[in-house]
Amino acid sequence: MTGIAAGLLLQLGLGALAVLSALALAPALRSLVGGIFGTLIAVTGFLTGLAALLGATGGLVIPIALPMDPLLLAPDRLGGLFMLIVSGVGILVSLYSMSSTRGPDASRTAWVAMPVFLVGMQLVPAATDSVSFLLAWEIMTLGSTVLLFADHARRSTVASAGIWYSAMSQLSFFFILAGFAVLATASGGTSFTDLQAIEPGSGAANVAFVLFVLGFGGKAELVPLHVWVPRVLPEAPSHVSAAMSGAMVKIGVYGALLVCVRLMPDGPAWWGIAIMLVGGASALYGILQASVSSDLKVLLAYSTTENMGLVFLGLGASMLLRGYDATAAADAALVAALLLAISHAAFKSTLFLGAGAIIHATGERNLDRLGGLGARMPVTAAAFGIASLGAAAIPITSGFVAEWMLLQSLIHGGRLDGAVVSISASVAMPLAVAVIALTAGLALLTFVKAYGIAFLARPRSAPAADAREVPPLMQLALVLGALSILALGLLPGPIAAVVATTFSTDPTGAVQAVGLGGVSLPGIGATLDPVMLVILSALVAIPVFVSIIVSAHRHPARTIDLPWGGGGSRARPRMQYTATSYAEPLVRVFDDVLKPTRDVQVTHVAESRYLVERVRVEQRVSDVIETRLYRPVLNLFQRYGIVVRHIANGSIHRYLSYSFVALLIVLIVVSL
Amino acid sequence: MFETFYPQLIGLCTGALLLTSALMVWRHSLLASIRLLGLQGIALAALVAVIGIAEDESELVFVSLLILTVKGLGLPWVLAHQSKASIKQIQESPRLNPTAALLAVTLLTILSYVVVSRVFGLGDTTTGHAAPIGLAMVLIGFLLLISRRRARSQLIGFLLLDNGIATIAFLTSGGVPILLEFAISLDVLLVVLILHVFAGRMRTKFGGTAVDQLRELHD
Repeated sequence: MTGIAAGLLLQLGLGALAVLSALALAPALRSLVGGIFGTLIAVTGFLTGLAALLGATGGLVIPIALPMDPLLLAPDRLGGLFMLIVSGVGILVSLYSMSSTRGPDASRTAWVAMPVFLVGMQLVPAATDSVSFLLAWEIMTLGSTVLLFADHARRSTVASAGIWYSAMSQLSFFFILAGFAVLATASGGTSFTDLQAIEPGSGAANVAFVLFVLGFGGKAELVPLHVWVPRVLPEAPSHVSAAMSGAMVKIGVYGALLVCVRLMPDGPAWWGIAIMLVGGASALYGILQASVSSDLKVLLAYSTTENMGLVFLGLGASMLLRGYDATAAADAALVAALLLAISHAAFKSTLFLGAGAIIHATGERNLDRLGGLGARMPVTAAAFGIASLGAAAIPITSGFVAEWMLLQSLIHGGRLDGAVVSISASVAMPLAVAVIALTAGLALLTFVKAYGIAFLARPRSAPAADAREVPPLMQLALVLGALSILALGLLPGPIAAVVATTFSTDPTGAVQAVGLGGVSLPGIGATLDPVMLVILSALVAIPVFVSIIVSAHRHPARTIDLPWGGGGSRARPRMQYTATSYAEPLVRVFDDVLKPTRDVQVTHVAESRYLVERVRVEQRVSDVIETRLYRPVLNLFQRYGIVVRHIANGSIHRYLSYSFVALLIVLIVVSL
Repeated sequence: MFETFYPQLIGLCTGALLLTSALMVWRHSLLASIRLLGLQGIALAALVAVIGIAEDESELVFVSLLILTVKGLGLPWVLAHQSKASIKQIQESPRLNPTAALLAVTLLTILSYVVVSRVFGLGDTTTGHAAPIGLAMVLIGFLLLISRRRARSQLIGFLLLDNGIATIAFLTSGGVPILLEFAISLDVLLVVLILHVFAGRMRTKFGGTAVDQLRELHD
């Protein structure tokens, strides 16, 4: 038995043990043991994924009773990379959940579903045929749905979110199933090796491509299939949101890569353009919604849509450029997309875990009622801050490297040896650069808001003022997450070089590691060495800081308080910026896209109309796509349902009459 | 001797089956329906016995005894297992009036003759000629199912349907294997017992077994 097979078998065995222990153990022990098992499952998955990524082969054969080939789980390098990503998130989430879960989140059902979810996610990238892929996919969806429903009894929003999630998951699954069915019919087999035989330009391939993009795009939260995201991720327990956004969404990305890179690598140009369009639209729409949201978890959820949009933008650009033989730029774009996925897994799971820590400490997720947490929860604040830097793509974090590489490939991709590769590429690439630029600017604004309003300034509510730092295990998960973001950002070279091996046998022409963990793109002629940058800027900054500190020590501190204090001494928490007021200019600028509803109520003083006693402003930004696209369809279905209710009204006589009439009609028709 | 009587015996038995079916639609009293069901069971048993003697199969004679016990005596006894005084009072108020119901029975019988003769052909054998009766019984049983309100009256419709299926089986292919016949009979007996207990519980809980009134329970 190979190492990979042993690792996969161990994951399955640990998963089964975790389910049994969750069923058997008393509530007091359940979270601890469940967390330990979850960590073990994730560590096993991590090691298995790492081995597969580094080129280990082998797999686990699972015979089945059905008349078809046995299921074969054998991750290749790409599968290994994604197994690594999801299990890395799994480690953080499992450590965190050991002490974060309380009440219904720590119920027996939830702890049975957690290992199912983790194992399901880790097995999807290992599948080598469509049957085992779909099986693992459904296990993953099932586990996540049950976890989401954990708190449905207390909050009605959870039930509604769960129904949205179930419906959208099933829609995704249907599309993927249909895609595989089309390919399997055309190629005559279900294993990925058989499916690779499809001619990418053929009709069946085109149909399957559209179905797959709809299916995997739904899981990867792309517009317009993202509507479940702003409902589900905020309502799920925070460690589940972290696992969903950090890991499960990557499985959607993996599916898209599987289709576009492995199964049908040389598709027509419109495939790349379509993916770029969907990705660009998702990136812009996601970050716009995130930037105006004042609910911390909704903000993070929409930001996930943005990041996945960028990943798909990179993937689409890579497909388009590869079609025009701009291989170096195409490889760089694909590496950038993969690095984006990795870094998103790191920073978004840390952010969601940080949001969970805030909810754990204050019970609030409305930014307008937070503030001042930086002094009260220093570890959480530091981790959330680093993750915010990553999400805003600021240097020395992982997000920066990925976006830098994506921009490099897009800027240089339109030209090959000085000549324009094609009209469509030379139109698409600058547009994509513009989209990324706007997205990056809005992302910066969004995360300045998220971090600044929540952790800086003064508390805006009593729970925020009474916040205490979370338990050590939750801190450990947050610190590990933050460290991984920094590691990915400081040492991009070796990571990018390994990532490039997932789709190319000789990637040195596209990506190389140089210097102190720096990355070089020889095909484009660009180099980035973050460690060197840090050392250089430290050389410049340290003398300046030292001189400032020294000169500050020479002058004694002023001890007399000014009586008036420049007005600052009487500032109240309510006078500070809130998340809503901070985003107000943006709402005005993008008024036509966001369509916010404002409600202003002015109460006058009884004596005079000219004096105002209080003003109450309420602003809601709803999801335009949901209200304009989904609502009409749902209303149509609802009307159909009301009509149908008359036909099927629950009377057994009526149902029997239907079958009797049907039988009579059949008899009459056959005897005619 | 038997050879000459054989077609007439088959005709008599199937005629009895059809007649009891039609009477079941006509009569509203539950007790009468149950008695008719018993008669029908006896007629079915007789039919099977006649076929068994004609084809010289001792197995079929054994089956006919089984049918006589289960359908002719067992099921009616289970259904009527209640004080005779109370069951006599149970009157069905069906959704179809007797005239319309009997007209429907006529049409269904004609339809089944048309269907069988057009689709399968009546064949040359005596039993083949009688086969439409089985289909007619199935359709009449269905009619009872949809036109009766009480749970136990519907149960009688279901049993009539089952008798129809058995009749078709015996007339066209000399019956199903004995093991299967045995299992089906036991199944039907079990279903009737369960539903009987249910109906009894429903009556004590809600005071009636009109299925329409039970619709409110599902909310």
